[in-house]
Amino acid sequence: MSRLLRRRPASSAPTDSRVQTDVVATGLKDVPACCEVVGAHISDVIEQTGEAAASIVEQMIKVDGLAEETAANVARLAGTLGRTEAELSQATSSNDQLVDRLVRYFLYRDEQIRGLVDEMRGLRQHVAQIEEVSRATNILALNAMIEAMRAGDAGEGFAVVADEVRKLADRSNKAAHGIGSSIADLTGRLDAVLADDSSFEKDTTSVALETADTAMTRRLSGIANAQRELSELVTGVLRDTMEALQDAEQSTGALTAETTGAVGHVQFQDITRQLLEHVSDAVDQVRQATEDVIGYAEGSLPEETVRERAISVDDLRARHVMSRQRVTHGDHAGGAAAVSDDTPIIELF
Amino acid sequence: MTTVMLVDDSATMLMSLKSILTKAGYTVETAGHGKEAMDKLSKGVKPNLIISDVNMPQMDGITFVREARKAPGMRFTPMLMLTTESEQTKRNEAKTAGATGWLVKPVAPDQLLGVIKQVVPGA
Repeated sequence: MSRLLRRRPASSAPTDSRVQTDVVATGLKDVPACCEVVGAHISDVIEQTGEAAASIVEQMIKVDGLAEETAANVARLAGTLGRTEAELSQATSSNDQLVDRLVRYFLYRDEQIRGLVDEMRGLRQHVAQIEEVSRATNILALNAMIEAMRAGDAGEGFAVVADEVRKLADRSNKAAHGIGSSIADLTGRLDAVLADDSSFEKDTTSVALETADTAMTRRLSGIANAQRELSELVTGVLRDTMEALQDAEQSTGALTAETTGAVGHVQFQDITRQLLEHVSDAVDQVRQATEDVIGYAEGSLPEETVRERAISVDDLRARHVMSRQRVTHGDHAGGAAAVSDDTPIIELF
Repeated sequence: MTTVMLVDDSATMLMSLKSILTKAGYTVETAGHGKEAMDKLSKGVKPNLIISDVNMPQMDGITFVREARKAPGMRFTPMLMLTTESEQTKRNEAKTAGATGWLVKPVAPDQLLGVIKQVVPGA
C-alpha cells in the first residue's frame, strides 16, 4: 500500500483530492480481505498446533504408561530373582550341612570299625596265649612220658606234672573264655553298628573333620565343592541379572522423568496460541481500520468515525499480556516497553 | 489423597498438567473456565488446591478466585494462578481476590510440584 502511494507522485503530475481518495480506496480495497485470509491462516495454525500438541501429550502419556508397565515388570522380575537367590542360598546351605553330616557319619563309622579291628587284635593275643599253653602242655606231656618210664621209684614226679598240667588247663580255660567273650562282644557291636546308628547323633561332635582325609571324605568334599561352585555360578548369574534389572529400573525412571519434562514443554502451544490470537486480533484491527479508510474515501463513513477508530501502536502495546510481547514490541516501536520485564516467574503471596 | 482442580481454557494445558499431577500421585479435577469450576465447587467437589489460568472465556481466573473464596470450605484452600500474563497490576488484582501465588507459563514440572508441596500441607 505504502509503495503504491509513494510511487504515484514521482511518475505523474499532482492530482485533485477526489482522484487521491479514489487511489487510496483502490489501494486499500483488498487489504480487509487479505487481513481475513491472514486471520484464517492464523486460526489454522492455532488449530493445527493445538491438535499436534494434544497428540504429543497423548503419545507421551502412552509412553509413560509403557515405561511404568516396564518398570512394574522389572520390579516383579527383580522380586522373583531376589526370592530365587534367597532360596538358592538356603538350598546351598542345606546341601553343605547335608554333606557335612555325611562326612561326619562316615567318619563315625570308620571309628567304630577301627574299634572292632582293635578288638580283633585283642583276639590275637588270646590265641597266642593258647598256643603258648599248647606248647607248654606238649612239653609237660613229654616230661610226663619220660617220668612214667621211670615209674616205680619216682612215682611222686607224676604228682608235680599233674599239678602243672592242671594249671595249664586252667590258663587254657581262661584264654578260651577271653576269646569267647571277645567274640561275643565283637558280634554284639557289629550287630549294633549294622542295625542302629542312633548313637551317631550324640557322638558326632567328637569327630574331627579337619584332620580327616580319606578316600571317602575326599570324594564327598569333591561333591560339596562342585555343588558350591555351581551355586556360586548361579548366584553370579542372578547377581548380574539383578544389576541389569537395577539399570533397567533407573532407565525407565529416567525415561518417565524425560516424558514428564516433555509434557511440561507442551505448554509452548498455549503460549504460542495466545501470541497468535493477539496477532490475529491486531490483523483484525488493521482490517477494520482499512475498511474505515476505504469507507471514508468512498464517502460512506464520516471523518470523525475514522479518527475515532484509528488504531495506534500504543493501543497494541496495552493489549499485550506477556513480558515477551512487551519486549518485542518495545524493540520495534521503542518506548518503555523495550525494558525487559523482571517480575518473578513464581511468586507466592 | 490430595485433589487438585485445574482450570484452563486450553485443552492441551489441562491434558499436560493432569498427566504431570496424576503421575505425581494427585487426584485431578478439570474445568475449562471459571464458571465450570464454580459449578463443580457448588456440586460438592472439594479440592485441596486450585490452579487456575487468568484469561479465560465466561469467567476469568481472578473473578473465579474471588467467587471461589466465598464457596463453603474454600476460605483457606490454596489457589495458584498459572498464566502467560506477567503484568504486575494483574498480580496485585489476583492477590486482592485471594490468590495464594502467581506462576508464569511455562513452568517446569518439578518447579510446579515444588510449589504445590510448599502451599499444600502434607501434599
